[in-house]
Amino acid sequence: MPKVTINGTEIEVDKGKSILRAAAEAGYDVPHFCYHPALSAPANCRMCLVEIEGVPKLQPGCYSQINDGMVVHTESERVVKARKAVLEFILLNHPVDCPICDQAGECKLQDYYIDYDAQESRVRTEKQNKVKAYPIGPEVVYDGERCILCTRCIRFCQEVTQTDELTIVERGDRAEIRAFPGRELDNNYSMCTVDICPVGALTARDFRFKCRVWLLTSTDSVCTGCSNGCNIHLDHFRNEVQRYRPRYNPEVNDYWMCDEGRLSYKSVHTDRQTEPKVNGATVNWHALAQAVADKLGKVEDPSQIALVISPQATCEDIFLAKRFGEETLGGVQFYLGGKLSGDSDEFLIKADKNPNTRGIEAVFGGTDSLKSFDDLLADMESGAISVLYMSGTDTPCDAETRERFVGLLDGLKLFLHQSPHAGEFADKAHIILPSCTHAEKDGTFINFDGVAQPIYQAFAGYGRSIPDWQIFLRLARAMKKPFDYTFLTQIQEEMFAASQAPEPEPEPEPEAGDDESSAPPPAE
Amino acid sequence: MEELFLSRNFKIENGHTLPVYESGGGYQRLKKALNMDSATIIDEVKKSNLRGRGGAGFPTGVKWGFMPKESELPKYLTVNADEGEPGTFKDRYIMELDPHLLIEGCIITAWTLGLRYGYIYVRGELQFAIRRLEAAIKEAYAKGYLGQKIQGKDFDFDLYVHPSGGAYICGEETGMIEGLEGKPGQPRMKPPFPAVVGAFNAPTLVNNVETIAAIPWIIERGGEWWASMGIEKNGGPKLYGLSGHIKKPGVYEAPSGVSVRELLEDYGGGMLDGSDLKGYIPGGSSCRVMLPDTLDALMGFESMREAGSSLGTGCITFMDHTTCMVRIAGRLAHFYHHESCGQCTPCREGSGWATKVLDQIENGNGRMEDLDLLLDICDNIEGNTICALGDSISIPVRSYVELFTQEFEDHIRRKGCPFPAWSLRSSASTRAEAVAGAE
Ligand SMILES: Cc1cc2nc3c(=O)[nH]c(=O)nc-3n(C[C@H](O)[C@H](O)[C@H](O)COP(=O)(O)O)c2cc1C
Ligand code: SF4
Ligand code: SF4
Ligand code: FES
Repeated sequence: MPKVTINGTEIEVDKGKSILRAAAEAGYDVPHFCYHPALSAPANCRMCLVEIEGVPKLQPGCYSQINDGMVVHTESERVVKARKAVLEFILLNHPVDCPICDQAGECKLQDYYIDYDAQESRVRTEKQNKVKAYPIGPEVVYDGERCILCTRCIRFCQEVTQTDELTIVERGDRAEIRAFPGRELDNNYSMCTVDICPVGALTARDFRFKCRVWLLTSTDSVCTGCSNGCNIHLDHFRNEVQRYRPRYNPEVNDYWMCDEGRLSYKSVHTDRQTEPKVNGATVNWHALAQAVADKLGKVEDPSQIALVISPQATCEDIFLAKRFGEETLGGVQFYLGGKLSGDSDEFLIKADKNPNTRGIEAVFGGTDSLKSFDDLLADMESGAISVLYMSGTDTPCDAETRERFVGLLDGLKLFLHQSPHAGEFADKAHIILPSCTHAEKDGTFINFDGVAQPIYQAFAGYGRSIPDWQIFLRLARAMKKPFDYTFLTQIQEEMFAASQAPEPEPEPEPEAGDDESSAPPPAE
Repeated sequence: MEELFLSRNFKIENGHTLPVYESGGGYQRLKKALNMDSATIIDEVKKSNLRGRGGAGFPTGVKWGFMPKESELPKYLTVNADEGEPGTFKDRYIMELDPHLLIEGCIITAWTLGLRYGYIYVRGELQFAIRRLEAAIKEAYAKGYLGQKIQGKDFDFDLYVHPSGGAYICGEETGMIEGLEGKPGQPRMKPPFPAVVGAFNAPTLVNNVETIAAIPWIIERGGEWWASMGIEKNGGPKLYGLSGHIKKPGVYEAPSGVSVRELLEDYGGGMLDGSDLKGYIPGGSSCRVMLPDTLDALMGFESMREAGSSLGTGCITFMDHTTCMVRIAGRLAHFYHHESCGQCTPCREGSGWATKVLDQIENGNGRMEDLDLLLDICDNIEGNTICALGDSISIPVRSYVELFTQEFEDHIRRKGCPFPAWSLRSSASTRAEAVAGAE
């Protein structure tokens, strides 16, 4: 392997590596704007210039490859001066409207300015004016004055989505980013341009002016929009999710996630049911568990009980649902719930809109022991099922069938609805068991590819909602057949041993120079 | 010069047409070349000391040697006819008045290096040149000089005229290739060089019009003969475009290594009556401005560098005592600011900043510290950009500030330009008088 010396540190690096990445391996951060590890390197921002001994001009570290015996300086006086100069040039026509800019606090320009420039302005000339708040696409807003023309957004649309919507119009310091005539920045991943825009030039319509980023706390989680399970930073403030951002995972989603998934956070806060209820009366969890134990205990033939398992739930929830059905109640019928399949593409979006179908397969050892949702309707119609324990509000069927299903609910002897959301079931359910969304609990999802991924609790459950697994613990205790668990980790231990659920792998660490997973903003 | 080569047909009636061109020996050189092998021709070009006429002066034979012999993709010839540098106007004469010389050069070049397609990338504004070239190419096709099985050889070559979308930056070789591919003219990072990855990802030769126009003559009379009309490392006659406050502005053919004084006095007829030479730009506006005391410098790449500037395109602009150097510097900076493609930060932003600071000084709003600021802006652009356009701002601007510091300071102190009617040519004969006159 070629050897290079970077700031006096000699290291061996793979052939063909850029100086920027080699320096990162040696422990030196080379500041950069236009370079992004997942995109080609146009070397246009000139922030990463480094000095190579024997080469007269400074060279862009993002583009120049290492050679055996190369001696590189990334902090020499010349380099530092050039870096300052680039920052001064960028700021020349920059509006410096940080106080009203959504990027403030997670802006590379701010960070580098503090790190490398921070000098008094020498500018007495007028600034160039460009478009502000330009609607470049349905989800994204463009600010020409903040744009540093790094072309990351253009290259994203060329190289990642291959939809090629964007280009530069005009020349020199009049240049701006635009969609080609007759088009807009409208693809399934358009909001990723907001993530990779190093400054506040591209902002998400959804997040604009919503929350200062330094107020956000970030929790590692997984998107529940489909079975791809894109890794996310779940950014929240005062118990409310403010946004999702993709979290780097080369095995699953790289640096990206789809727009629909990104906006799916909204479901955490809509249509929530937060109070345990028995026949319309709000009760506490203790009373509720007693009531459920009482009613379910009276069902003579447990095979009359349908337990709908949702692939929206975590492996832990499913594991306990299974044990509850098989051991606590004994001999119930399991049915498969969840969402209807939808669109997919060749990239991240999967047709299976449930994050944890593979989790059910793992816990149940396949899906043979679960009947289909159609079977459930038939069994309800025939009267084979008179008690329904439904988790979630999703039904894997079309609207018409769902209507039929809702109609059939009236004929049930007992309907228990365990879900964070009310759906059309609030009036129909005899018993309401408010549970938590993925944002409010720990757990594990297994994506379509069999990758087991942990999610973490961001904030406490809404109202009096508690995670599904805790509900099952309470009910089992009330039915005098308690499980021997207190903590989730105990469940996990047993679950991984008992089922085919693969244990979550440790998170892959971003490779040196892959800082673009964008570190979470500072905690509250 | 007694015998003319590059400009031989300029003054001959219908010199742009095929019959007239052929009657003067045209396309005989092609026939000769078709019986020579590639290595011999490259060797002749190396011996000729022909240097790239586009401004950088890269030895043409060496550049040809870089072209790979084998290639999976068809190889391209791109002739750089984007001529947009202020003060430079030589290539258009060849294209308008002797297009067949260029076309013959293209065909010989293609034969030598195995190039399948050729594009002459012409500055969009040069409509007349484009029409003449297209007509000439048609004539050449009709005569079997272009197309398939040229002159019965196993040699196919097609030549096209590609009018540029109209930006100076498309003269930079990789900007030109981007333009040719239908993209915005934004220069590429090098390496890879065009000889390896050029137009449409294929190996591509980029040469200037005047460079290619020299090839038929080198084939006819040999590389050593060409080299003999020049000085060390700089061979052959060359076109010099002379402009400014001189009696006979125009394009002249003279040997390489002629002195600036000779060009000014013998060809350009000397300065206008009553005009004192104040400075001159030796090779297009991106070169350092020079003072009259360097008039004896020889027009070669090395000699001009030693004299403190560069040969560039060899087109000289002479400026007399009525010229406001601050305004000239501002005007040139404005040009490069306007033409910067905007890809890289230092050129995009620095060009505008330098222009605004220069305008400020010219308009009487300058401060003394602006001079240091200008030099520092130049420092911060130079060498830090993707292409050489960045340097085209910093190099000249720095030279005006350094060589005419006094004049800049006068502007700042007087809060205005001491040459209020500079474009009307004041009667003052020295700068001091002009300054005094304005007060
Ligand atoms: C900003 C810029 C503009 C240029 N414009 C031209 C031009 O108009 N014509 C030209 O022949 N070369 C131009 N060049 C030089 C070309 O990049 C290239 O060096 C030249 O075409 C090579 O041909 P030669 O070796 O025959 O000189 C320009 C270079 C730069 C950096
Ligand atoms: S909008 Fe953002 S990502 Fe796109 S070029 Fe401008 S600064 Fe770069
Ligand atoms: S130096 Fe100027 S013209 Fe050349 S690539 Fe950079 S911005 Fe474009
Ligand atoms: S990061 Fe290297 S030039 Fe932009």
